[in-house]
Amino acid sequence: MAEAKNAWFSKYFTDNTYDEMFTADLDVKGDWNKLLENFKDIGVDGLTQRQNDINWLLEENGVTYNVYNDPNGLNRPWNLNVVPFLLDYKEWQLIEKGLKQRADILDRVLKDIYGDRKLIKEGIVPHEVIYSHRGFLRQCDKIHYKIDRHLLLYAADLARGSDGRMWVVNDRSQAPSGMGYALENRSTANRVFSDVFADMNIKRLSEFFKEFNELLIEASPEKIENPNIVILTPGSHNETYFEHAYLASFLGYPLVQGNDLVVRDGLLYMKSLKGLKRVHVVLRRVDDVFADPLELREDSHLGVAGLLDVVRRQNVAVVNPIGSGILENPGLIPFMPAICQFFLKEELNLPQIASWWCGQEKERNFVLENLNKLVIKPIDRTNREHIHFGELLSAKELEALRIEIEKKPYHFVAQEHISFSTTPNYSKGNFEPRNMVARTFAIAGKMGYNVMPGGLVRVAPERDNIRVSNQRGGTSKDFWIIGNSKTDEQPSFNWNRKSAVSVSGLDDLPSLTAENLYWAGRYVGRTLVNARFLRMVLKQINAPEAHAQQNITNGKLEVLLKAVTQITGTFPGFMKSDTTQLSSDQILDELTAVLLDRNRVGSLANTMSMFNNSYYSIRNLWSSDMWRVFENIQKIWRNLEIEKNLTVTKLIRALNQLITRLIAFMGLIEESIMVDQGLLLYFIGLQLEQGMLTITKCRALLVIKQSSQTEYEILESLLSSHESLNIYRYSYRSYIRIEPVISLLLMDLHYPRSLAFHLGRLQKDIARLPHSKKSDVFMNYEKFVFEAFSSLRLASSEALANSNTDGLLREELDNLLEKLSDLLFKTSQSISNTYFNHTYKQSQLVDQNFPI
Amino acid sequence: MLYSISHTTKYDYDAPVSYCHNIAVLKSRRSLGQELLEYKIHISPEADEISERVDFFGNYITRFSIQKEHTQLKVTTVSKIRREYEQFKNDFRSDACSKISLDQAKKSLLKTEPDILEAKQFALESIFIKKTDEAISNYAKESFKPNRSIFEAAEELMQRIYIDFDFVSGFTSVSTPINEVMRNRKGVCQDFAQIAIACIRSVGLPARYVSGYIETIPPAGQEKLVGADASHAWFSIFIPSFGWVDFDPTNNQIPGDQHIVVGWGRDYYDVPPLKGVVYGSGKSKLKVEVDISRVL
Repeated sequence: MAEAKNAWFSKYFTDNTYDEMFTADLDVKGDWNKLLENFKDIGVDGLTQRQNDINWLLEENGVTYNVYNDPNGLNRPWNLNVVPFLLDYKEWQLIEKGLKQRADILDRVLKDIYGDRKLIKEGIVPHEVIYSHRGFLRQCDKIHYKIDRHLLLYAADLARGSDGRMWVVNDRSQAPSGMGYALENRSTANRVFSDVFADMNIKRLSEFFKEFNELLIEASPEKIENPNIVILTPGSHNETYFEHAYLASFLGYPLVQGNDLVVRDGLLYMKSLKGLKRVHVVLRRVDDVFADPLELREDSHLGVAGLLDVVRRQNVAVVNPIGSGILENPGLIPFMPAICQFFLKEELNLPQIASWWCGQEKERNFVLENLNKLVIKPIDRTNREHIHFGELLSAKELEALRIEIEKKPYHFVAQEHISFSTTPNYSKGNFEPRNMVARTFAIAGKMGYNVMPGGLVRVAPERDNIRVSNQRGGTSKDFWIIGNSKTDEQPSFNWNRKSAVSVSGLDDLPSLTAENLYWAGRYVGRTLVNARFLRMVLKQINAPEAHAQQNITNGKLEVLLKAVTQITGTFPGFMKSDTTQLSSDQILDELTAVLLDRNRVGSLANTMSMFNNSYYSIRNLWSSDMWRVFENIQKIWRNLEIEKNLTVTKLIRALNQLITRLIAFMGLIEESIMVDQGLLLYFIGLQLEQGMLTITKCRALLVIKQSSQTEYEILESLLSSHESLNIYRYSYRSYIRIEPVISLLLMDLHYPRSLAFHLGRLQKDIARLPHSKKSDVFMNYEKFVFEAFSSLRLASSEALANSNTDGLLREELDNLLEKLSDLLFKTSQSISNTYFNHTYKQSQLVDQNFPI
Repeated sequence: MLYSISHTTKYDYDAPVSYCHNIAVLKSRRSLGQELLEYKIHISPEADEISERVDFFGNYITRFSIQKEHTQLKVTTVSKIRREYEQFKNDFRSDACSKISLDQAKKSLLKTEPDILEAKQFALESIFIKKTDEAISNYAKESFKPNRSIFEAAEELMQRIYIDFDFVSGFTSVSTPINEVMRNRKGVCQDFAQIAIACIRSVGLPARYVSGYIETIPPAGQEKLVGADASHAWFSIFIPSFGWVDFDPTNNQIPGDQHIVVGWGRDYYDVPPLKGVVYGSGKSKLKVEVDISRVL
């Protein structure tokens, strides 16, 4: 038992043998003492405040980690504890040396496995350790690379073992995650602890990221000054998507998905708005087997068909190379000392966790005898779900495991079950010891490997919990390596280059990003227009005169309710029945469904979730303000969804809040993203959607002529849902009549909410699209918008307001609106076909669904 | 024997395909007693790029892509092959081959000589032959006994599969799990080969999947062999210190001159005649034609 001298830690003691804060003699280590002195100055309240600041900053910046199957949904906030993890530079130098050596060995192993396989031929590694590992991709055999190193990026999980040294517990090689989080943690800690940073000599990370950037450039198979580098993400549902987007904007490279890339003539291209753009380097976050559906896992939609062949022809570099997953192999651990001798004729510098490979008889017998004390892992599935903790298993489960092992012994490795060291964690005003694991990173450089001075430290979510994993929802820490002298290097990167994308203008915009921006514009427009319309209808229901009538018999409400169904497209809805027969409860039920039923196509909730999807997919373009407002909108909606006692008033209030936030959000989009970054596509989507909905609204409300009183009320409702009542009164100063309403909402060239204005703007915007500039001949979408705009300009409001001979229908208005609606629909299709043509469905010639 | 073989694979799409990437294993590899004399591949529409390489197992892999819109893909190969294999069949009856027992074989497999190391990977699980259940190992044990010759056991296994399993095309597909094939005892040549391989691996011996053709025009008075107008497949077992011996469970015979090897691997996954990724929205209809004739 250990007790800290500092009053701060008077309650902090630990039953574990090793706590990071203490020396073997139970003294507080020098660096930790200095940290505690700083904390003393900050005080308990101060520290709580700083933890709150951290939480706030992370939420502000939208730092998230997706936990699969999490009831809280995707995008859980990332946790960073206010207490960092400290390591003395002297100890770190030894670890650094060990990591460099290990990266070097694993690089040689990778070359050998896909090359001469001397390790197997000379009996250093049993063949099953490689051949039975699903990460050994025979398709990658004998591929040559232009770059010396094959393992370009390496991550090792370290934990302090029973001998007091840091041990390697896991190797990560195919697409290691965590670098971005480490960077974000540092950036956040830097802001919250600027005073402590000034006082302590903390090693900086900027040099490492500069080297990382150089590595990506060096990796290019073609030696050109500015190779095209992309970051390949599986998409916004991936657990570490935040990090992909963060790295993309930090490094300034386009974030793409498999669909954005295509293989032609043995080269890899990015589909951009203008056309195909050659890609030289892919920093991938897609696992090996998903990288190429032609040669690898055939059901993968995350990769690019033919990518492996482009690699083979040395026309693109993938970082790390496809096939490097073979190194994520605990079966190699027992053989690492021999491998190290074989390649380097030296001892392994970093200790490893004790491991027994069951493919050997002696080891297998030992494992089977000690099954209840060991941790058993398959050699090729190192994620939690496949790991068995012997001590937690029942006799029956142990027997089942024994049978499994005996059936396929070479597939299993057993490891010693050790309790790793603890480190202080700040929790509810107290310091608690938590088990920790540190992920460290090495990258290939010109002179051997470069190691990040720091890394990502994760601690168990609860005290006495030995399982440390983000997937289970844990807490992270900034990793400080404390030197003796002031670090003179200055941060050379701007840590907050959130919305920078190095693509040189609209032409190079990845088409998937362009499409997401376009749909973002359409969905945000749809949400806003529908929210306003629904709010207006709810207000009418809530009005005193509506309450006076038990059965709603007035004609206005009937028209408005049917319009709700038409505008939102939630058929059959109010269209199927005679609304005058509906009770007010039935009406409210349907309206609530149109608002809140996520699964109903066209409902506001449904539109909003589409809007969320398109926004998440382009989050690398966001500013932190946008994130905050977006979160706010989510909150309003979540609260409404869990509200048990919904009333019309509550719905109206929520819609008021939603509309205000949406408008703020739209304002932010316009000032945060540059037109050349794709804002143009957002505008096109927005104008098109608003135009289409204005048409639908007018068709639903104005085409059928009503009695003059009802008509007056409907016109008033229309103006009010269009936020145009004041403008109308200001412009016309008259009783509300159909003809001026048509003039204002459809034909006014200067009123930003009129259809003519939307179409005029649309015409200008689409003229700036890459293909529009090609020649004197209009593109199809230009023709459609031109025709729509001209038809509207040539119409007269007087003629449109006239009804046909029987006096029931405004036929000319109906004809015009139908034509315009059709033209705008075709415009959208034409834009999609011209610019987002990645929507081709990928399928297998022979359908063989199976995992590799 | 000199053969001329033409193999046509045709896909008709009901909606245009904008482009496709394909991989074909259609060119006969080097193998004992067999020589490829001529080979041509015709692709329609014409491939925009085409390349050939030798894979991990020594098979020829042809890769091509078509980047123009098309509604039909037609791949035809024409090969001229000399097959003189009957001469080797006598060796199988030699002691070196037919006297190796299961126990002896397993002991030999512990060695680390190059050919043993090379063969041993075929004793491990593979993409299509994995997680095999007890039905398979029990079926294998009926033939494979510790002190019995593995050649004999393999020959018997071939016969048993020939008797116990019904040749029913269309009952299974490429992705039908091996345990299911075992339960239903129905399938085509791929299934029979893979069942045999699963059995042999369950007793710890290496076995591989051989893909190829079989001459189906019967000599006068003999029965017509199954496998006409399509690719054929069989299995091969590794007999330590002797080598690989092929067996065809579909026709209950040890392949001779009428069997023509194209490629081999751990199972069908490693040597599919033609596969690819197409970009389009429709469905496809497949037609395969294989024509084998003796060149006199």
